[in-house]
Amino acid sequence: MGYFGEVELGSAFPPFTTLRESFGFVPNVFRAQTLLPRVIEAEAGLAGAVFWNERALSRIQKEFIALVVAANYGSTYWFTQHHQALVSLGVAELELDQVVKDHHQAHLSRPDAALLDFVLKLAISAPWLAGEDIAELRNHGFADELILEAILVTSLSNFFCTLSTAVGVLPDLQPRPIPRSQRLPPQKRFYGGGMSGPHLRTVELSPATFSPFAFFLERFGLVPGIFLAQTLRPDLIEAEADLVQKVLIPEDILSHVQKECIFLVASAANLNTYCVAAHCEMLRIMGISIGESDQIAVDHQQAEISESDKKLLDFALKLTVRPSEFQCEDLDVLRCHGFSEEQILEAVVATAVNNFFNTLQMGLGTTPDFEARHVFGPLEAHPSASVDRLTERAPADPDAELVARVQQGEVNAFEELVTRHSRRVYRTLMGILANAGEAQDAMQDTFLKAFQHIGEFQGRSKFSTWVVTIASNTALQYVRERRRLESLDEVPSDEDGDFRPRQVRAWVEDPEQLCSQTERRSLVESAMMQLPPKYRIVLMLRDIEQLSGLEVAAALGLGMPAMKARLFRARMMLREALAPHFVSTAKRMGQ
Amino acid sequence: MITCDEFMAELGNYLERDVALEVRRQLESHLAHCQTCQVVYDSTLKTIKIVTDSGSFDLPDANALPIRDKIMARIRKETS
Repeated sequence: MGYFGEVELGSAFPPFTTLRESFGFVPNVFRAQTLLPRVIEAEAGLAGAVFWNERALSRIQKEFIALVVAANYGSTYWFTQHHQALVSLGVAELELDQVVKDHHQAHLSRPDAALLDFVLKLAISAPWLAGEDIAELRNHGFADELILEAILVTSLSNFFCTLSTAVGVLPDLQPRPIPRSQRLPPQKRFYGGGMSGPHLRTVELSPATFSPFAFFLERFGLVPGIFLAQTLRPDLIEAEADLVQKVLIPEDILSHVQKECIFLVASAANLNTYCVAAHCEMLRIMGISIGESDQIAVDHQQAEISESDKKLLDFALKLTVRPSEFQCEDLDVLRCHGFSEEQILEAVVATAVNNFFNTLQMGLGTTPDFEARHVFGPLEAHPSASVDRLTERAPADPDAELVARVQQGEVNAFEELVTRHSRRVYRTLMGILANAGEAQDAMQDTFLKAFQHIGEFQGRSKFSTWVVTIASNTALQYVRERRRLESLDEVPSDEDGDFRPRQVRAWVEDPEQLCSQTERRSLVESAMMQLPPKYRIVLMLRDIEQLSGLEVAAALGLGMPAMKARLFRARMMLREALAPHFVSTAKRMGQ
Repeated sequence: MITCDEFMAELGNYLERDVALEVRRQLESHLAHCQTCQVVYDSTLKTIKIVTDSGSFDLPDANALPIRDKIMARIRKETS
């Protein structure tokens, strides 16, 4: 059913009864964790408190939040679940697709659209979430109880998406493709690093009368701020304390230290200053020196821990920052290093729980309970930046200095950026629009947008890749406006892979000697114009612009496997088109 | 020895230099013995070179400067 073996827990296993009542069946993501029944208990309890307990937000509002978080994460499993739930609640399918593509163009009320703005910002750029975002929700009539629930539903959805990625869960329902979002990323004005609060109203709860607080006090020496900030909903704190007790504390599978290290490394990868400070302190209490925990947070490869523990942390790190690349072979690495199925599953759950608490803390905006020796800044605060930091450095961007000058208000510096990138942008636009006049108009719009949003450019990719992404989105907008095509995906994607060459005659040794540069250019342009746009654009970026595969995938919003399949198909189609001009005559005569 | 279909299935990755060492050995061993796949591989490499060197879809020089000036004029108007 999934990557892990299953044990029979019986239909009377209480969490399964609860889940059956909530979902109508026991979703495979829970069945895939039967090696750890205590974990399923905690997850079912948390899901019940956050999702099924209708206290503030309506069920439809929560489903919408979970839907957009799952779509943004790229979890087809959860997107399908929430899509189905919303359809059964009476929401039209077309409306749901529109919410994912651009919720401002859907028929949502203004408060509900604002709610999804907030949720997407928390899911995508949490460190930029600020008091003004909370104020915006309050202006739309949301009380703090509702905002707290929105934060919790977002965090829980993130948790379940991480979990389903790594347990290799089979779908419960016919999988539904996720529509591509057409909105620009959320605006980033104020960087608070997730510590600009706490944002929400609280009430007094005493450890003397509230047992979860007594548990935290006994275990950690204080009640962490992340829990104090949720006192509007004691039932949620109870469910979270249960999660901590059932996932983090037990020593029977992975040790508590190993799990704290997973939390530490994954929090650092999410650039969560609050959680890094907390887990460093936990490790200090358990006898790990400050220097050692700092080293684990910054680069565990250089830390004095066993090779197998380094692999364990590599695993948690990949699942945190590159979930789309996660595959079952990653589990095999741990198996090869002697980890049992239960231990690997617990590592998965610990990583997912960490993502839950990281998202929750950023939403609440709590300040660290302990001294933060490393405060993560805005230039680091992006997942891809963190990948670079923890694996290999990204090559320096030759445009970095110019970009910084424009960001500081030097408008004239932008002129040089236009000069440097106009050809690349033009080709990108031609790749989609196939019309020189339109491409030149779209070029103006592209650079104007780049200028307007340059304050949000954080150097997570090269400037050139970023501007190509804007060009690609601008061209698609043109296409939609002119109603020529619905999207680049007008040809079903399963055609990308299956291709059999028809022309199998040898080419001349040096085809470039056969015709002039002008003739070759004309041949290539004419052949490329005949390609469907989705193939033309990938060829344009990879073979003419010579962007790296990763850059092309990023610019087009594709995963690497999809990009490679499309590129290969495009090259083969072009080869077929050019072959009649370059096959060897001698060879032909000889055949 | 891998089949021609298996070779074709991996050719895209091979062109992108994205195959494991063992797979690469198998592909190259197949290439050494299969003339049809050799032709496909060789002509695909030549296609990529022709496309890369073609200078296709270049923005005409006569248009580049006026467009840049228009862009900057719009930006300056917006910021003034």
